[in-house]
Amino acid sequence: MKGIVFTEFLEMVENKFSPELTDTIIENAKLPSGGAYTAVGTYDHHELIKLVSCLSQETGISAAELTRSFGVYMFERFYVLFPKYFEGINSSFRFLELIHDYIHVEVRKLYPEAELPSFECDTSQPGRLRLTYRSTRPFAPLAEGLIRGCITHYKEAADIEIEDLSNGAGTAARFLITRRDRVP
Amino acid sequence: MSQIEQLERRLERERRARKAAEAIAEEKTREIYETNVRLQQLNNQLEELVRQRTTELAAARDEAIRASQAKSDFLASMSHELRTPLNAIIGYSEILLEEAEDLVRPELRPDLEKIRGAGKHLLGLINDILDVSKIEAGKMDLFLENFDVAALLSDVSATVQPLIAKNSNVFEVHCDPDLGTAHSDQTKVRQILLNLLSNAAKFTKQGRIKLTARRPVRGDGGYLEFTVSDTGIGMTPTQVTGLFEAFSQADATITRNYGGTGLGLAITRHFCRMLGGDVTVTSEYGKGSTFTITIPGAFPKAAMEPHPSPPEECIAGTVLLLEDEYATRNALGQALTQEGYRIVAATSADDSLRLAREEKPDAIILDVINPELDGWTILRLLKTDLDVWDIPVILITALGDRDMGFALGAAEHLTKPINPKELLRLLARVKSAEAAPDVLIVDDDQATRDVLRRTLVKENWTVREAASGTEALQQLARATPAVMLLDLMMPGMDGFEVLRAVRQDATWRDIPVVIVTSKDLTTDELEWLRGHAMDVLQKGAYRRTELVAAVRAMVEAARSTSSRPVPT
Repeated sequence: MKGIVFTEFLEMVENKFSPELTDTIIENAKLPSGGAYTAVGTYDHHELIKLVSCLSQETGISAAELTRSFGVYMFERFYVLFPKYFEGINSSFRFLELIHDYIHVEVRKLYPEAELPSFECDTSQPGRLRLTYRSTRPFAPLAEGLIRGCITHYKEAADIEIEDLSNGAGTAARFLITRRDRVP
Repeated sequence: MSQIEQLERRLERERRARKAAEAIAEEKTREIYETNVRLQQLNNQLEELVRQRTTELAAARDEAIRASQAKSDFLASMSHELRTPLNAIIGYSEILLEEAEDLVRPELRPDLEKIRGAGKHLLGLINDILDVSKIEAGKMDLFLENFDVAALLSDVSATVQPLIAKNSNVFEVHCDPDLGTAHSDQTKVRQILLNLLSNAAKFTKQGRIKLTARRPVRGDGGYLEFTVSDTGIGMTPTQVTGLFEAFSQADATITRNYGGTGLGLAITRHFCRMLGGDVTVTSEYGKGSTFTITIPGAFPKAAMEPHPSPPEECIAGTVLLLEDEYATRNALGQALTQEGYRIVAATSADDSLRLAREEKPDAIILDVINPELDGWTILRLLKTDLDVWDIPVILITALGDRDMGFALGAAEHLTKPINPKELLRLLARVKSAEAAPDVLIVDDDQATRDVLRRTLVKENWTVREAASGTEALQQLARATPAVMLLDLMMPGMDGFEVLRAVRQDATWRDIPVVIVTSKDLTTDELEWLRGHAMDVLQKGAYRRTELVAAVRAMVEAARSTSSRPVPT
């Protein structure tokens, strides 16, 4: 997993909670990397799961809820860090549709070894987007957070129905997104 | 857990992260460097490959040029090889036609005419195919010269007249009176018009074929506009499409019913465009077609001033010219003035008699074709007037009226289009009888020599033959002929070399040489020949009468320069 996810996660913990709590979860997690992350590096995704789990223990908030919140946070960070990917896109559906065909293609050019999840989109129904997430890693809640962050970014309102496709493992899920302003 | 320890751990993590980032940056830098090196190598390989390919392409291009040259050489030699025997076929058939008449064997005539017709047709096809090959090879050259448009049109009209009459068509020619001179390729303009007119003749029966020529003022120098319209079978819009493409006729039925290669119109358009113009067509199925040609005239029309009279001391004679058609009068006047004749022109019967009495010309040229002039009456009056009855009259007649002219006392007759050289010959003849001159025929082809010899002997000339360039020079050393007819393509010493040798020798320098060739001449060759020979005749493209006329004119010209009589 790309280092930027780790550095952004730790920054979020520092900002939303405290530097002390950040240090605590790093210490508790007993990470192989020792928590010394650089955005340009690549690290085992299990370290992120451990960090989330430790944060959950310290705060009493569920790991899933923390991961979702991190997703919402990270979407806005993406906008700050990589504004080029947002050019010419004016709706959440359009952005989500382009993840697979445009954004991931661009990511692969820079990081050919990156293991990216797949996002299949079905837009056959107007005002609705059916998005299927599949990954080797259990980050369906992170995906959900990113989707919510995306809708918020474009100042839209939508209902999201989630269908778990991996028996609780979190590696696959289907999101049925219905835009409220478009439904009669 | 003290805050200091926390900060120390944090600092340590940051340091390790920085070092990891630096290591990654270094690795990436190396990767980029190595990639660049690989790219550079690839680039070098590609450049090497491009160099190789360029060399290969250059070699292929050179090979293609060589092949194209070989093809052109082949075509040039084929044209010679094909035209030489065809010329013999046409020439012999013409001789036989005359002999059939002499022997009173009229039943042979239709067959002989078919042989001659088929030979001429075949020659036309070969010429078309060679023209297209030359056009496609970009080897069609232009030979620009100044020429009188009206004279060209009357020549073209006379040539197509029999063809048009064949299908019982009426031929109308409408020319602006001030067409003037054009600076263009005369041969190509002629071919364009002949192509369109013979097409019109082919596709029209018992109809009307019209040739018009105008010079609408457009831009500097102006344009010439010719239209050829007919009331023939016409074409549908589909048939008109692709009409000017090579190897295409209106449709396959046309080829079956009317023959032809389908090259004529393609050549016509190519020629028009080469001359800076174009050809367009409008047509209605069942009603007829109209082709319009526009070509730049390039030169403003010639000044219509009277022909300047030559200085008194070198006057070859005075000629009274009774011709009311401007173009013919102009062309004849020019040709005669150049030869030192003084021209007196009349356009009415009254003028004619008066001028004949006052001027006492050496000869009178009288056009009896034009009904306005009432030439027959003038001839009768001239021949019954005691003062002028003995002045020789050369008639310009329609072919059928020849006998009537002689019956009324004309000395000679001519048919339009008038070949100025022929006219000069006749003038010289009516003025004084000359001894038969010698003609030297130089040609490696026995059949060609034979046809030429028999043609010339018929005219009471003595003829010598040479089968090669070397033999020609030997013959010349033995006796200087009045005229030499010279072929160009001969094994060993060719015609060019013979001509060069003749022009360098003081005793032979003035021998008039007529080139008779089936070689496809380049512009350069033609130019050189026109500077070194009196005339260039393309085998198969000239009529026997033209050859005879040319030879006769050369002989007369040669004699008149050596001992031109000054009238007393």
